[in-house]
Amino acid sequence: MRDRLTAAVRRAPAEFTELRLETSWTTAVTFRGRHLENATASVDEGGCVRALNRGCGWGVASFTSLDALPQMAQRANELSRALRLDRPIELAEVPPHEADVDAGLDGDVRGIGLEEKTRLLEAYNGAMLSVGGIVDTVGSYRDSVTEYWYLNSEGTTLHELRPEVTLSGSAIARRDDVIERGLASIGLRRGWRSAQGHEGEFRAAAERAAALLTAPRIRGGAYPVVLDPELAGVFIHEAFGHLSEADFVFENPQAREMMTLGRRFGTPLLNVGDNGAAPGLRGTLPFDDEGTPTQDTPLIRDGVLVGRLHSRETAAAMGERPTGNARAISFRHPPIVRMTNTYIGNGRGSFADLIAGIRLGVYACGAFGGQTMLENFSFTAAHGRMIRDGQLAELVKDVVLAGNLFQTLDRIEHIAGDFQWTQMGGGCGKGGQFPLPVTEGAPHVRIEEALIGGDVPQ
Amino acid sequence: MIERWLDAAQRAGAQQADGWWHRAERTVVSFEWGRLKAASVGEEAGVNLRVLSQGRVGVAGSTVLHDGPDDLTARALASAALGERFGLEFPGPCTPAVVSTFSAPAAEASLDHLVGIGREVVERLARDGCQVNVTVEREVTETEFGNTAGAAGTYQATAVAVSADVWRIAGDDVLTVADGIDDTGVPDASALSALVQSIDERLRRAEVVVAPPEGGLPVVFTPAGLAAVLLPITQALSGKAVLQGVSPLAGRVGERVFDAAFSVTDDPTRAGRPASRPFDDEGVASRPTPLVEAGTVRGFIFDLETAARAKATSTGHGHRDIFGKPAPGFTNLVVGRDDGTPDGALGGQLLGPIVDGLLVDDLIGVGQGNVAGGAFSHPVALAYRVVRGEIAGRVKDAAVAGNSYDLLKRIGGIGRDRRWYGRRLTPSLLFDGVSVARR
Repeated sequence: MRDRLTAAVRRAPAEFTELRLETSWTTAVTFRGRHLENATASVDEGGCVRALNRGCGWGVASFTSLDALPQMAQRANELSRALRLDRPIELAEVPPHEADVDAGLDGDVRGIGLEEKTRLLEAYNGAMLSVGGIVDTVGSYRDSVTEYWYLNSEGTTLHELRPEVTLSGSAIARRDDVIERGLASIGLRRGWRSAQGHEGEFRAAAERAAALLTAPRIRGGAYPVVLDPELAGVFIHEAFGHLSEADFVFENPQAREMMTLGRRFGTPLLNVGDNGAAPGLRGTLPFDDEGTPTQDTPLIRDGVLVGRLHSRETAAAMGERPTGNARAISFRHPPIVRMTNTYIGNGRGSFADLIAGIRLGVYACGAFGGQTMLENFSFTAAHGRMIRDGQLAELVKDVVLAGNLFQTLDRIEHIAGDFQWTQMGGGCGKGGQFPLPVTEGAPHVRIEEALIGGDVPQ
Repeated sequence: MIERWLDAAQRAGAQQADGWWHRAERTVVSFEWGRLKAASVGEEAGVNLRVLSQGRVGVAGSTVLHDGPDDLTARALASAALGERFGLEFPGPCTPAVVSTFSAPAAEASLDHLVGIGREVVERLARDGCQVNVTVEREVTETEFGNTAGAAGTYQATAVAVSADVWRIAGDDVLTVADGIDDTGVPDASALSALVQSIDERLRRAEVVVAPPEGGLPVVFTPAGLAAVLLPITQALSGKAVLQGVSPLAGRVGERVFDAAFSVTDDPTRAGRPASRPFDDEGVASRPTPLVEAGTVRGFIFDLETAARAKATSTGHGHRDIFGKPAPGFTNLVVGRDDGTPDGALGGQLLGPIVDGLLVDDLIGVGQGNVAGGAFSHPVALAYRVVRGEIAGRVKDAAVAGNSYDLLKRIGGIGRDRRWYGRRLTPSLLFDGVSVARR
């Protein structure tokens, strides 16, 4: 295969050509309640050629038939040459790499039968169903191993085996017209061994759903809010991380101004970064999908904007260094600037210190979802607890956190020293590419005041 | 083509099988921040195979087609070994709906032609202080279906989508206005003009920022803004939700649940719509399915499996991908009825009687909450304050909340601006007493 691909890249007519080729073996199992909805194994194979010529645009051709590779290299070149640009696209320099990466498959999922995988998920799903008040569940198991090739005409050749396992559970509790849910989500760049031993997380999700049945809706209003590490991580990814992706700013003068390096971004307590090289995480890979080595990139240091995430193109356009953040979800797409493992750096003190001074506040935990419209965001916490007189009090539901990014970052008044990564399933979506495996990490974070929806005051 | 897989499945021991072969060629040109920097083509083909073996159902998919059908067949049978028995029956030959899904000019449109469309939209949307992104996407597909009960069919389809978003960033204030059109054919001048005007009007109206109102107020939801209100209802109208016991509309067929002005039909036979098709991905003929008529619940959408499990009949809503198993899905969701020439003006002529209220075009976080129950609460992404029948300006930092089931019991007015927004044809709707909060 190596020789065939090397020859294809060598024969490609464009001034710059890169080729990605992927074969993925995937198993997916889903339970709904006590029913096995589906257990299936699939094979997906294809490639993507990108071509670039001086003074021209990008030509991209993706395909599922490998026999078409030489024609697709031609096609990409023709597309590139059809686009004439006034300002040429430059690529920041990345030294050529040759690597054969075997990160270890941690128990190759391809060697395990469909039935055994189904039994594992049945046990996790059963852990949810065993909880009182649960009327329905969805349990899903998904694994894949992808054999990945990357070659470019500058001499880089990468060959990797990439494992992935995701487990998720959704438990629905119902009493009369009240319906609540609890979610468990685990996503690992690992194999069969790491898929074991997760009953506790599934049971906890179901217990949470059942407990929410009798929890009151939170009364909407402005509160001091403490985010748990999971929600704080999702927050920094959604509300800030996307702004630091250089494809958003590099050709947009107003956005560039908003994201000028050196600008104050939050209180001096705040440190944020993105680390695609952090060991053992779902968003970790040795190289990005342009063959650039991944790295730890500081984005905010002591409340000052110090960096951003780059592809080779955006780095060259802004006179900065590539950071290894050009990623594609599969061969069906070209790489675009994406996050990897995004984090809020550790602070000081414990969770108890964080809530000690709060007379009336909200502890917002987990995330059902989040959406940002640039400076405005909305996050739905999985659940919340009221904080009363410095202590955790009753469980509350429908905790929707909404606000303005800049104001909210300025109101971060305490960051605890209890950092942790949250390795969830699902993934990040951008430009039609979903789900991209990413990880988020943070300690507990206290925001002086944030708006919580819920019962909207009339 | 699909015969090969069906034969192989039966040879390998399946009693019955159905297969869906799909090939797509996609061409995309994208103007990023006004510049045309990339063009791409994508070709993909794959097969989704379902088998019935000893009454058990299994499914498998693959894009690796050159090695013959045996690997896929073996995987489908392995899936069936674990699969459930639920009385699935494959339909025999059907009479496909007569619907045009293919436009030769769209299939043959050159790269230059697609670039030209994008460039025109970029140029017409260009204005000081704003940045424009435009994407033109053309897809040509071929679908072949067959099953061992004798159903077989094939069709070609085209789709051309043009989407645009305009960004205005002033200091830390970010405004984005986006819209898009799609059709089986190449958009004509009037369709492109409508796209440009739609974005232009919403941008102009957003120039002034005003304070949001507060309280229980009249609120108009545009066809785009209605997403939050309609999502719980469409979820509840899926046979899958009924089967799972999470549809508040289950068991209420024949009951008047909504305002008499509220009707919903799913129509896979609409001319010019990319989601239209002569038969579904399980070989069932397409036909319009009335779901809500004059406020009364009429039915739900089903694919073969949910129909078999619910002791119902497939409504021709089976959707398939190369991977995974078929599932019920909507095609073209039609809300309201045809009532004369549409009027594209923002607000659909509903603003006149409003003394103080809101016009909502886009909300943040739709789909995040507890959708099934119908309650929603979202900050606005793009909304305007309406004062004495006129748009006073854009509001920021406001949130709207309500319950879809309550709101749709009492519709205050139906706009004259019915249009397609994605796979949904809907007018603007006015509701009274929607909760609006300021922050």
